Amino acid sequence: MSIEFLDPTHESGPAPFAPAKRLATLRGATVGIVSNGKKGTQPFFHAVERELRERHGVAEVVRLTKANYSAPAEAEIMSEAERWQALISGVGD
Amino acid sequence: MRSRRYEVDDLHAAQEFFHSRGWTDGLPAVPPTVDAVNACLEWALMPPDQLVGIEPVRQRAITAEKLAVNAVMAGCLPMHFPVVVTAFSAMLQEPFLLHGATASTGGCAILIVVNGPIRAELGMSGSFNALGPSDRATTVIGRAIRLILCNLLDARPGEIDRSTLGHPGKISYCVAEDEEQSPWLPLAELRGVPPQASAVTVMAAGSPRQLMNEWSTQPEEILDTFVAEIRANMRHYSIWPGNYALIVPPQLRTHFARAGWSKADVQEYVCRKARIRRSEWNECGKGAVVGERGDREYAAFTGPDDVLVIAAGGPAGGFGAVIPPWYGNKSRAVTLAIGACVDCAV
Repeated sequence: MSIEFLDPTHESGPAPFAPAKRLATLRGATVGIVSNGKKGTQPFFHAVERELRERHGVAEVVRLTKANYSAPAEAEIMSEAERWQALISGVGD
Repeated sequence: MRSRRYEVDDLHAAQEFFHSRGWTDGLPAVPPTVDAVNACLEWALMPPDQLVGIEPVRQRAITAEKLAVNAVMAGCLPMHFPVVVTAFSAMLQEPFLLHGATASTGGCAILIVVNGPIRAELGMSGSFNALGPSDRATTVIGRAIRLILCNLLDARPGEIDRSTLGHPGKISYCVAEDEEQSPWLPLAELRGVPPQASAVTVMAAGSPRQLMNEWSTQPEEILDTFVAEIRANMRHYSIWPGNYALIVPPQLRTHFARAGWSKADVQEYVCRKARIRRSEWNECGKGAVVGERGDREYAAFTGPDDVLVIAAGGPAGGFGAVIPPWYGNKSRAVTLAIGACVDCAV
C-alpha cells in the first residue's frame, strides 16, 4: 500500500541575491575589511591590507571588527560600508 | 496544508526517500502523513499557517505546519507537539542567537529542560539515564528540534551546521527535571514562570561533563567538584562567562536537603568559586594567548542566575554533570511557559 507524506523542508528557494558589480580597478578605492574578530585573522588581514595598498594602489583600507563572531555585522558597520567601493567579509578562525 | 506531497510504494521506500534527501539524522523517520500532521496541529489548536516566528538572520518564516511535519518524523505524538513548539519559539528569541548556535564550529546542541505538570502527562522521566534516552517523550522532542534545524534552517553537517566535532546531544538533548523527588523549586519557576505552569528552557550547550563525589556529605565539598569541572571547561574550552547547567541527582540532593541548602545557595556558592586566572592557560598548552593579562581573574558567571541548577538522575550514585555553554554569554538560556503568548510577559 502506498504512503503519501509531506515535505519537511522550508521549500523556499535561496533568498534573492546578485553579486555586486565588479570594480574595473582597485586603484584609488576605499576597501573595507570586516573581520569576525577571531585572533587568527589579524596577521592574515594585515597581509591582505598590505597587498591591497602596495600591489593594487588602494587609497584607504578600513578595518572593522564585529562584536560577536557568530552574529551578523552590526548596523553601524553596514552603514559605514556604504561609503566603501569594495568590502571583504573577513571570516577567519 | 501547503507542503508539497510525495507518494512512495511502502515504508521502506519512504525511508530511502528521506535519507536520499538528507531529511533525517540517519535514523529511520516516521512518514509525516497529512493525518498525523493534522493531529499534532489540532492538539495544539494551531492552524497550519500559524506563524510561530521568523528566524532572525535569514528572515525565514517558521510555520506550525512545518514544525508539525518534522515533529511527526521524529516520532512525536500529538501531545508532544506543544513542547516542541514552545522550545522552538524560545530558540527564536534574540538572546538565544539561534543562527550562531546552529552554525558555529563550536558544535553545541540545544539542551531542552522541561518543567511542570506536562512532564507527568507525557510520561517524561527525570530519573534513570536522565541525560540519555530515558523515555519516549524526551527522546522524540529533542530529536524533533534537531530535524527542524536540519530541514527548516538547513543546519545539516557541512551546510549551515559547521561543527568541527558536534556531540551526541545533537541527536536529542532533552531532560525533564525531577521535581517530585527534589527539595528545590523547579528551574522554570526560579526563572519567572508561575508555579504549576509547564515550561521549557533552552540552552545552547556543550556535551555533559560527568563528575563523581561519593565521599562527602558537605554541600561545599560536593560543589567544589562541580566548580572544578567548570574551571576545567574554562581552562580547556572557553574562558568566557555564561550559563552553565548543573545536573544534580538524588544521592547528592539528599546532602543539600539535609544541610538546608536551596538552589539559590548552590548558585551563590558556585558563582563565587568558579573562576580562574588567565595564566592557568600556561598549564594547558595555551600559553600563546595568555599575553600580558596572566594575573587577570575570569569568572564563569556574570551572576548567580547564570547557574541553572537541575534536579535529575537515577536514585543511586554520587554523580553529577556540568553542561557548559556553547559560547559564553553571547547566547543566553531562554525559558518560556507552554501555551503562553510569546509576545506577552510570562
